[in-house]
Amino acid sequence: MTRPFSGRKDGLSLSEALPDRSLFALVAMMGFLAALTLAGASGARALSARWSGGAAQLLTIQVPDANAPLATQDGSRATTTRVQAVMAELASLPEGTEVHQLTPPELARLLEPWLGEADSSALPLPAIIRVRLPPEATVPATLEPTLNSHVPGTIMEHNARWGERLRALANSLLACAGLALLSVGGIATMITGLATRTGLSTRRDIIKTLHGLGASDSYIAGRFAWRTATLGFGGGLCGTLMACLPLLLLLQMATPFASVPLTTPERLLPQNWQALADTVPSDMLCALALLPFAAAFICWFTTQVMVRLWLLRLP
Amino acid sequence: MIRLDNVSWRRGKKDSGPVLAHLSFAVPQGGFRWLLGPSGAGKSSLLSLLHIENLPTDGQMTILGKTVAQDEKRAALVRLRHRIGMVHQDYRLMPDLSVADNVALPLRLQNRPEDEIQDEVHAILKWVGLGERVDVPATRLSGGEQQRTAIARAIIHRPGLILADEPTNALEESQACRLLDMFAELSAMGTTVIVATHNESLVRRLERPFLFLERGHLVEEGDTQA
Repeated sequence: MTRPFSGRKDGLSLSEALPDRSLFALVAMMGFLAALTLAGASGARALSARWSGGAAQLLTIQVPDANAPLATQDGSRATTTRVQAVMAELASLPEGTEVHQLTPPELARLLEPWLGEADSSALPLPAIIRVRLPPEATVPATLEPTLNSHVPGTIMEHNARWGERLRALANSLLACAGLALLSVGGIATMITGLATRTGLSTRRDIIKTLHGLGASDSYIAGRFAWRTATLGFGGGLCGTLMACLPLLLLLQMATPFASVPLTTPERLLPQNWQALADTVPSDMLCALALLPFAAAFICWFTTQVMVRLWLLRLP
Repeated sequence: MIRLDNVSWRRGKKDSGPVLAHLSFAVPQGGFRWLLGPSGAGKSSLLSLLHIENLPTDGQMTILGKTVAQDEKRAALVRLRHRIGMVHQDYRLMPDLSVADNVALPLRLQNRPEDEIQDEVHAILKWVGLGERVDVPATRLSGGEQQRTAIARAIIHRPGLILADEPTNALEESQACRLLDMFAELSAMGTTVIVATHNESLVRRLERPFLFLERGHLVEEGDTQA
């Protein structure tokens, strides 16, 4: 026995349609893929922005035997060291240029991912000079030959040389991520379309009866679309949450490059959640938060179109 | 007011023969018509046409004062369908719903208040003799009970036109007579009623004008009193 008024509105019983459950699982998988792709796209975007921004204005100069006296051409005793000579040359760079020689602790921190916390003072490390040019300023073409002639063995690395290539790489990764997202959206649309079609064929007689009783197209399409949108939202949310685990693993892998360690190799979850929140780009967090809503919209829209087209067969 | 002027309807391709051909008749508001004819004459097809489940392929059809054309807006057809009650031969009840929920459907589709719906449903189910069966799922009803549920669903929203396809098939004699009295009462109250049937004794019991179909053509229109 049932209650006289069961609360079921129209007998469509969409919650009992089997394909709907598979729709949830498939959208969850699509959500998982989309979340990973979004994270990759966000990373590529951050990389591109970084290389097109400040990093291109950076110069790195290595001076081997930094504290050795500068050799003079006439063999007389030099009054300056090699690194002092380089610093003197750099003073002629455009106004606003920041020149900074890394201190031993800064150098040790820079090399920590490769050398660990071991004492590196015994190693014959070159002096590292970081030069940040003001925006729009360019490196004088004569700087490198001048440095090499005055202080032989000096190595100058200008980020802009390979920054363009890295930026192009980052942009192509971004384009690939966009295509991957489009593909995921397309597959989600197809899955929703197939599930809707199956639902329509199993509920064909009931829909025809409802139509005969005066149910409008928007009512029937709305009932189907609400159901698939709910499943799409749930699937999208589930997929996004599932993607958080591999994303945390990726963050852990990226730890050596982070300024503040987020995790230790022994621990999967970050110890410093505040640092994690600061590290993860806000646009990525927004995109991940919007993913379930996007999945719901795709399902809702696809179902609306499918059902309305199907209903056109009926007068 | 129902009016058909030279209406034809064919199923599917244009070159197939018409199921209904050149039908012309009129039924005034509050009129009652028996729809008679042998099996396959097109009675159910005509009722489907009047219920706007199909649209005429030729001719002009006016239902409840509204002309129904091929290019009619769908929203207008939905509004018109709300004013028609249909009792199908196979009942077409929702298997997952109780008797009460089945009968409540037309009112719910009109977004009527739930309190009002429940009062109306209880009243009409009592009237058709199903007052004790309100909570039974449609699948557990006997044939006669299903038929009465379908009739209650067709008339609960007080339509301007009631179409019934063999409505007394599964009913006992007494129930069939009671149903006829109900249709006559609705007709007297201004509802147009068209009933397709094979049951000659029923037709003799309620003497009213009739339409006689044969092979999709209207071959006779008259009055059973004559």
